Amino acid sequence: MSKYDVIIAGGGAIGAACAYFLSRDTELKVALVDIKKPGNASRASAGGLWAIGESVGLGCGVIFFKTLSKLQSEAQGEEIPTMRPHQLPDCFFELALKSNAMYPDLYEELRTKHNVDFKFERTGLKFIMYNRDDELYADQIVSGIPHLSDQIRWLNAEQLKAEEPYVTPDAIGAIDFKCDHQVNPYRLVEAYTEAARQNGVELFLHTEIEQVIREGNKVLGLKTAAGELRCDTVINATGAWANTIFKQATDLDMPVYPVKGQIVLSERMPKILNGCISTSDCYIAQKDNGEVLIGSSTEEKGFDTTNSLDKIQELSRGAMKCLPILNESNIKRCWAGLRPGTPDELPILGKVPGIEGYLNACGHFRTGILTSAITGKLMTELVTGQPTSLDLTPFSVTRFFDKA
Amino acid sequence: MVKSNPVVIVGGGPSGTAAAAMLGKYQIPSIIVEEAPKIGGVIYRGPLRKTASVPHLDDNLQRAMSALRTRYENNRHLIDLKLQTRVLGPEGKQQLLLSENGELTTQGYNELILATGCHERSVPFPGWQLPGVMLLGGVQLQIKSGLVKPGAKMAIVGTGPLLPLVACQLHKAGVNVVGVFEASSFNKLAKEAVALLNKPKLTLSGLSMMGYLKKHRIPFYYGHGIVNAQGSEKLERITVAPYDEQWQADHRHTQTIDVDAIGVGYGFVARTQLAMLLGVEHKYTKVSGYVPKLDSNFLSNQENLYVVGDSSGLLGADAAICEGQIAAIDIALQRGAVTTSVALKEKRKVMRKHARIARFRFGFDRFSERQDGLLNLAQDDTVVCRCEQATKKQLDDAIEQGVKDLTTLKMRTRIGMGDCQGKTCSSYALDLLHKAGHQQNSKTGVIKPRFPLDPIPFTFMEEILDEQI
Repeated sequence: MSKYDVIIAGGGAIGAACAYFLSRDTELKVALVDIKKPGNASRASAGGLWAIGESVGLGCGVIFFKTLSKLQSEAQGEEIPTMRPHQLPDCFFELALKSNAMYPDLYEELRTKHNVDFKFERTGLKFIMYNRDDELYADQIVSGIPHLSDQIRWLNAEQLKAEEPYVTPDAIGAIDFKCDHQVNPYRLVEAYTEAARQNGVELFLHTEIEQVIREGNKVLGLKTAAGELRCDTVINATGAWANTIFKQATDLDMPVYPVKGQIVLSERMPKILNGCISTSDCYIAQKDNGEVLIGSSTEEKGFDTTNSLDKIQELSRGAMKCLPILNESNIKRCWAGLRPGTPDELPILGKVPGIEGYLNACGHFRTGILTSAITGKLMTELVTGQPTSLDLTPFSVTRFFDKA
Repeated sequence: MVKSNPVVIVGGGPSGTAAAAMLGKYQIPSIIVEEAPKIGGVIYRGPLRKTASVPHLDDNLQRAMSALRTRYENNRHLIDLKLQTRVLGPEGKQQLLLSENGELTTQGYNELILATGCHERSVPFPGWQLPGVMLLGGVQLQIKSGLVKPGAKMAIVGTGPLLPLVACQLHKAGVNVVGVFEASSFNKLAKEAVALLNKPKLTLSGLSMMGYLKKHRIPFYYGHGIVNAQGSEKLERITVAPYDEQWQADHRHTQTIDVDAIGVGYGFVARTQLAMLLGVEHKYTKVSGYVPKLDSNFLSNQENLYVVGDSSGLLGADAAICEGQIAAIDIALQRGAVTTSVALKEKRKVMRKHARIARFRFGFDRFSERQDGLLNLAQDDTVVCRCEQATKKQLDDAIEQGVKDLTTLKMRTRIGMGDCQGKTCSSYALDLLHKAGHQQNSKTGVIKPRFPLDPIPFTFMEEILDEQI
């Protein structure tokens, strides 16, 4: 029977990043066990590294804001509820920004040492403003993050037109988050995986995990379709499916659940965007091969991954409003992914008190691509007993149990 | 369930039309959704314009075309035919999204029969993308529906009974056919003599085609096949060579032939994208690729969803007609439009016929079974996926790096991410994975079809369906 130091359950962005960092920074014997299930989020993702954008509720969170702004306009004449950006706590900013800062080096490292290219592009993320409401919202965002003012640029209509000539002339301006970039998400996963393989990680691909092997409060490994795999530490990086492994490891439930996001993709187009875009209707990113990706709905429908015309229509209309040139293009395909959601939108990272040989690396909700790098680093630090790069207390699973 | 609701049939080829006619026999209305401007499928559609005669098409084919037409005409009061209408995918429960006359519409159903046919198996070899290199079905469309000659001087390469048939049709249409190259050996065909006796008439017509080729001095080479196609702007010549038992080309004995077009026919693949989007369970077969898992009534694991004709596995038009009829009888029985004893009797008759065709067909399938040598035709720089320009070497490298499933191969190389959703390249990529020892299942070995099955103009999203959503 094989015995490993670490077995990673799940080979999406998070699991693959853990495999890569462990294999790069330690001499440990590592295995990764993965099976792709419909809706796995890494392959469905848009690939935005929108550290500030996501932290202030743009990107995927923008649909949520749209609901707010609709409420506001409906309340016209009556008492208008104060509209505040959906800003995540400081600990998340720290996590997101630290991770974001890792990508330029990581990109070079994976390309030069491992000959894999995840298509890192410095794009910035522009929040496009159409009217006074949008401007107020942008003001609120900027005043909420005074410490990041050097990362924000205000563009008036003219400047916006110069930088993004295909954006509608109806736009009155934009704010640009200078450090928010993009990658190709599935290439990122493949890059981590291939580099980890080159570093000696054993890959058990399309291998179902059947059961966590446990003795009392100690996790001993995984029973898989490829046999029993024993180890000192299991890392749970199983995305929207993470609670199944958690429950088998701890006899407890944690609140990680699938949050469906639908995506619309155009045919290949000539370069029409220099940066990534967020509006109050959707986000838009032109990917490395010319396709324009439009996201994303936020739906709690269990593990359903079907597309529905209403959401596709909503997203398409939002994108056409911003980029009229899409009128000349076709929707090539649509899909849906399942984000691993948590009630407070923060990931669940680290040890579980009272359980040995088990680490959580899950609940990354909208930002698994962005925070995969820091998660890989943090898990490596935890496994090797080093001090962690940032305080993991706010990300402990116990936050859900303390309240209860 | 409202009993008078029409049964929805996707595909107006032999099986779809036969299903509609059989439903008509029991007074059950149906809707046929057909992408072409005419029913009949590629095989029986016939000319798209009016023509006095089609002398290059044989009597059997013309009889079959008019039989299909009659089946439709006799029941047309019960059949709502939607031509030039494409299914984009499911929309909600028990409803399809259609693209019809430049608009999006929806079509609900209680019972759904998928008769979506097949598409051609593309085998990449150097030069396969040159203008003039055509797949056999495309060649047939040109001579049967377009009434144009695909070339002046042509060769036919591939395997199976379609080769001599197309060669005869081309010759009758006035094309100079310089040779037919069948990958399998004659010995292998001789071994299937017993199976071929299941359909003596068809076997005889096959023999008469071989006689026709001989009479007109069109050489037919067993155990030969394509090596590459050459030309600067378009096809100018091909290289062919003897194939061994594994269809490995013998490069010491190649011959080069000047041609301006070729027909390439290494088989077909069931067209399963819609069935997959609808959640139908599939299994792998060597001949047809992934095919739906069905019961003896051609009912899938999804409620009231039948898959018939070549989309359920390739047996050809005669079997497809039987399958459409069997599904229709079952629906009539479920609806109480026919008594059990009558239905069983009728079904047994059709099933017997179907079994006979299948035995005949399996003989040819064994003769034409694809061999691994075919995978070696593509060179390192040969493009395998033409939408994304992925090369053979990129696929080989990824498999070398440990990729074991088709979806990961897609993520690494972008094969199957283009507009055709992998219809062209996925069968080849699947064969490569199998050859490398990585057996696939219906979860790993499929480029997962995505909604919409055809691209939709963004502008369609501006006006449509507000009232329906």
